[in-house]
Amino acid sequence: MAAAGPSVFLLMVNGQVESAQFPEYDDLYCKYCFVYGQDWAPTALPLASVSRADGGAGAEEGPRTVTRTEERRQHGDKARPWGWRQALAFPVYFEGGGNAVSSWTDVGQEREEGLEEGISQITSKSQDVRRALVWNFPIDVTFKSTNPYGWPQIVLSVYGPDVFGNDVVRGYGAVHVPFSPGRHKRTVPMFVPESTSKLQKFTSWFMGRRPEYTDPKVVAQGEGREVTRVRSQGFVTLLFNVVTKDMRKLGYDTGPPDTQGASGPSPQQGLPP
Amino acid sequence: MAEVHVIGQIMGATGFSESSLFCKWGVHTGAAWKLLSGVREGQTQVDTPQVGDMAYWSHPIDLHFATKGLQGWPRLHLQVWSQDGFGRCQLAGYGFCHVPSSPGSHQLHCPTWRPLGPWREQLARAFVGGGPQLLHGDAVYSGADRYRLRTVASGLVHLELGLLLRHFDRYGVQC
Repeated sequence: MAAAGPSVFLLMVNGQVESAQFPEYDDLYCKYCFVYGQDWAPTALPLASVSRADGGAGAEEGPRTVTRTEERRQHGDKARPWGWRQALAFPVYFEGGGNAVSSWTDVGQEREEGLEEGISQITSKSQDVRRALVWNFPIDVTFKSTNPYGWPQIVLSVYGPDVFGNDVVRGYGAVHVPFSPGRHKRTVPMFVPESTSKLQKFTSWFMGRRPEYTDPKVVAQGEGREVTRVRSQGFVTLLFNVVTKDMRKLGYDTGPPDTQGASGPSPQQGLPP
Repeated sequence: MAEVHVIGQIMGATGFSESSLFCKWGVHTGAAWKLLSGVREGQTQVDTPQVGDMAYWSHPIDLHFATKGLQGWPRLHLQVWSQDGFGRCQLAGYGFCHVPSSPGSHQLHCPTWRPLGPWREQLARAFVGGGPQLLHGDAVYSGADRYRLRTVASGLVHLELGLLLRHFDRYGVQC
């Protein structure tokens, strides 16, 4: 195998959905999932999906005080609304010195099958001047692929209650997982789709239901966006630690390891004043 | 053949006087370049920002090129349009930027301009919108034929592009 050389490379991503800024909204929770090309497959599961699956099961057995949020979560469990793919559970090995083969990660074996997605807790704004919404919600996933095309994107959607207590979407956003190994901070702008007609706008306001994407994955796609009108109204801050394996062996040059992104992508992208 | 992956986003735009903006984009390459996968052109969503003055598009780009030569390194050309309350669109800016040649992730800030008509057109644009547009979009990314244009500055388009190169060192190319 060593003589043939590797044909797959690995991309390990961990980190967190750190916090958010939504000046107009409070009591929000966040969902994430990964969207990736055909040549990509996840090899380990995020912790979050397992704990969420447990929580969902518990909620079903418990007393029937199911809020909209719970419903959405359970619904999410059952309907598997996006990017669902059975995770491949097999160990990943380093090629150690000599014949020694050490296990790099075998978490995939121990976790039950699930999704490379998660749902956070509901958070309220901090009482201080930052007015930050902190989730501190873990991300942990490893991908393998033969081709960088279709590089994974994380798709975020944020929900919160409106004045009637219904859960409505407060923002969708997406960003590519960083290329280069290292620690990266990304501030993702969040937007919601808008009704195109005035009548729809009025009815959606009146009924307390606003337009949502049936499949949030569309925010990771470049096609078919020219018909959507959106309103950007917040930011989510993500923290990534990226480790790649065998990319250089496959001939890819990802450039110098970059940690400059850790201080934030750009001033324009920074949080609103 | 050497390969280039361009993966990233058209983040959004700042500095335009109009508020509801979208962007038509495309990639132009030399003859030696072949697009193996990905889409060569597209159009972003229309964003009306509620916080700050930056319109966010978060428009993903994922391109895989193979090349036999270095000439005609990919360049992105952009057209920013604004949409008013009636759904009418008017040109807000043209711009282009070369895809960076060094691997890694890059923040690009592409300045844009729009053609400026005679004063009567300028006055009409201020009141009823519209304004001159280029008949041939290739003037955006080529230097020919520019000398006849009168233009005025408009906003900036912000891009975040990651570049992955493959097998360039095999041909002795330093990027």
